[in-house]
Amino acid sequence: MAAFLKRKPRLGGRRFALLTVAPATILLVGISIFPLAWALRLSFMQDNLLSIATPRFIGFANYGHLFHDRLFWTSLGVTAVFAISVLTVQLVIGLVIALALDRLPRYQQVLATILLIPSILSPSVVSFQWKQLFDYNNGVLNWALGVLHLPLQGWTASARGALPALVLVDFWEWTPFMVLLMFAGIKSLPRPVFEAARVDGSSGWQVLIFQTLPLLNRVIAIAVILRLIGAFKIFDIIYSLTAGGPGTSTESLAFYTYVQGFRYFDLGYSTAMAFITLILITILARLILGFMERPVGRPAGRTA
Amino acid sequence: MSPVTRRTFLADSAKASALLALGGGSMGSLLSACGNSTSGTSESSTLAVEVDEGQNANPFKWFASDMQSAVGVSPKIIGLPFVGQYEKIVSEMITRSNVYDVLIFPPFFVGDFVAKGFLHKMTDFGNEADFKLDDVLPVYRDPYLKRNGNLYAATYDGDQLQLAYRKDLFQKAGLTSPPKTWDDFIAYSKELHRPPNQYGNAFYGQRGFCYGWFINVFAANGGQWFTADMKPGISSDVGVKALETLLTLKQYAPPNILQIGYPELNDAYLKQNTAMVIQWNDLALKAEDSTKSKTVGMNGYAPSPVRNYMPYSRVMAISAYSSNPHNSYKMIQYMNRSEIAIKYVYDPNCGEDPYRTSLLNDVNAVKDHSGKPSMSPDAAASYVAANKAGIAIGYPELSIPGAPRYIDILDLKVNEALSGSSSPSQALKACADEWNSITTSLGKDQQVKAYGDWVDSFHKVGIQY
Repeated sequence: MAAFLKRKPRLGGRRFALLTVAPATILLVGISIFPLAWALRLSFMQDNLLSIATPRFIGFANYGHLFHDRLFWTSLGVTAVFAISVLTVQLVIGLVIALALDRLPRYQQVLATILLIPSILSPSVVSFQWKQLFDYNNGVLNWALGVLHLPLQGWTASARGALPALVLVDFWEWTPFMVLLMFAGIKSLPRPVFEAARVDGSSGWQVLIFQTLPLLNRVIAIAVILRLIGAFKIFDIIYSLTAGGPGTSTESLAFYTYVQGFRYFDLGYSTAMAFITLILITILARLILGFMERPVGRPAGRTA
Repeated sequence: MSPVTRRTFLADSAKASALLALGGGSMGSLLSACGNSTSGTSESSTLAVEVDEGQNANPFKWFASDMQSAVGVSPKIIGLPFVGQYEKIVSEMITRSNVYDVLIFPPFFVGDFVAKGFLHKMTDFGNEADFKLDDVLPVYRDPYLKRNGNLYAATYDGDQLQLAYRKDLFQKAGLTSPPKTWDDFIAYSKELHRPPNQYGNAFYGQRGFCYGWFINVFAANGGQWFTADMKPGISSDVGVKALETLLTLKQYAPPNILQIGYPELNDAYLKQNTAMVIQWNDLALKAEDSTKSKTVGMNGYAPSPVRNYMPYSRVMAISAYSSNPHNSYKMIQYMNRSEIAIKYVYDPNCGEDPYRTSLLNDVNAVKDHSGKPSMSPDAAASYVAANKAGIAIGYPELSIPGAPRYIDILDLKVNEALSGSSSPSQALKACADEWNSITTSLGKDQQVKAYGDWVDSFHKVGIQY
């Protein structure tokens, strides 16, 4: 036994360390870094699968072309409007519902389970059911408007109405996810702080503004980042419900990237677009994380 | 006997596994061949047939068992969506996937598919004579099936747009005949517009194929896709006027017109909400089927005013990467036979339409696949006459390399104008710019030649263009 313990390891410490991290490194390089690097290279190429021309390096031409592509800017605008709308509505309503849920301890489990349903449905199922709801002649929404003697709506049939309709679908699908995140955050907050505030005479509103929200800011930041990424990647409900139309009124960045890549097979250009989206999301996420790292404000109520 | 050590055990296990894998694979292949192959060949008798999902796959299902007895092959349907079919086929073919044996697609894909080598020549597996091309209506023949003199496909469907109108409502309004010009069409739509229970007209306003209804008017105004040197024809005054006509018609259409695609347009007419529609010609068969329509016996059929656009249609071809090309040929040849075609082109439960001269010769042939008449004799006569008259003034669908992309951009811009996001002239100007970029990216000289060849193919069969 003693001889075994005294025996020198066959591999040196450094070599052993390299050997142990090698599998993870190979996986990371193979699965994450290599495809990303390959895609980055592709974004500098003129490579259209339907063209008879040989793929060739064209430097930043694809990126340069983006700045002159009106449809790119339109799709960026659509994505920005969509992201801001869904984030604002889902954050506010998600927080309100989570706070209400916190006050209903008896029903929390049942309500949380019911709330999860929209988020676990397949996007194609969600789109199909909303297609039925939005139907002009047989849809429930227009039936309700008819009952109330209000004018029937085309919902996804007008350039003005289609994007709000998609926001409504996303709201229905993802607000419950926001509620659950907020609710988990609220549950993890230190209760003595709130009890102390109440003893100090703080009103419910003051507790919300000066304690709950500041203490929740990390959870809010995470929720906003997750939904921001989701909103920037929005594709499935657009593909199924509006196909980017009417016109280009619902053509998001992800949808336009798909059109360039998989309808026109312009791989170089669509990859450049995908990288621009990646850069935009990274910058926005960084800004939100910066907000998260701010120090939490002082507690509300009287101080000694 | 030597003792079994861990090392020898592992080595022997590996050898045994390798032998099993090789032997098993061979055995599997052998069993598979016994179960599936047609005698005399190593090809599978069950063939993967790509087709846009839904009613257009029905003929293959109806005739699967007869096909098996007649030519020894049967289909396994792989359904793709109607809109988005192009990208799904190309995505597979680019990877040289053998997932499809028989491809069914609209002929405007043919230019790209031949250029990229996605299709086998039909004559590699048989003779042109097998397809009785002389009996195929000229408009659906060489321009749709051939490139550079080679036969790449066989016809499955002969589409054209067609006017279906309510004779009872026309009579009530004192209108004695279908509209002959687009000005008439607008006037009739206005006259018959009684919202919210009755709309003057309806058309395909959804993204995907709304361009077709624009081209239908554009053709009547004398428009051409391109000039001989590939300058876009759509942004001319003729194009702008056509798009303005469509916008005028929108005023007398259901308010959700931008949501209306193929099934919705059928519904708009079949549920008695619309006085007249221009739709693909299979609507007539559905309009006379009491299980689908509330307008049975109330309908008249006529070609579109002045010119009749012929979008879509379907052809059958053999995938260049098919493992079963000989059997695919047999299947295509079987489905293309006039005695089989006549059993499905008049069935209201599929979307296929007549494409052979012989199919238009006898109105008594208007029967479903079980042999039951699909229309009353009067309706059948009106429908067949409208088909013939429509073909005589047919306007061809663009089918050159890049056609799906040219068409997609046009569709987008027409849809933008219909939604009010841009004016007709802005939309068509933007489209023309995009078309020029596509032409440049594909090589202007090649495109000029391809377009010239395509136009010639129409002239040769007597189509005015």
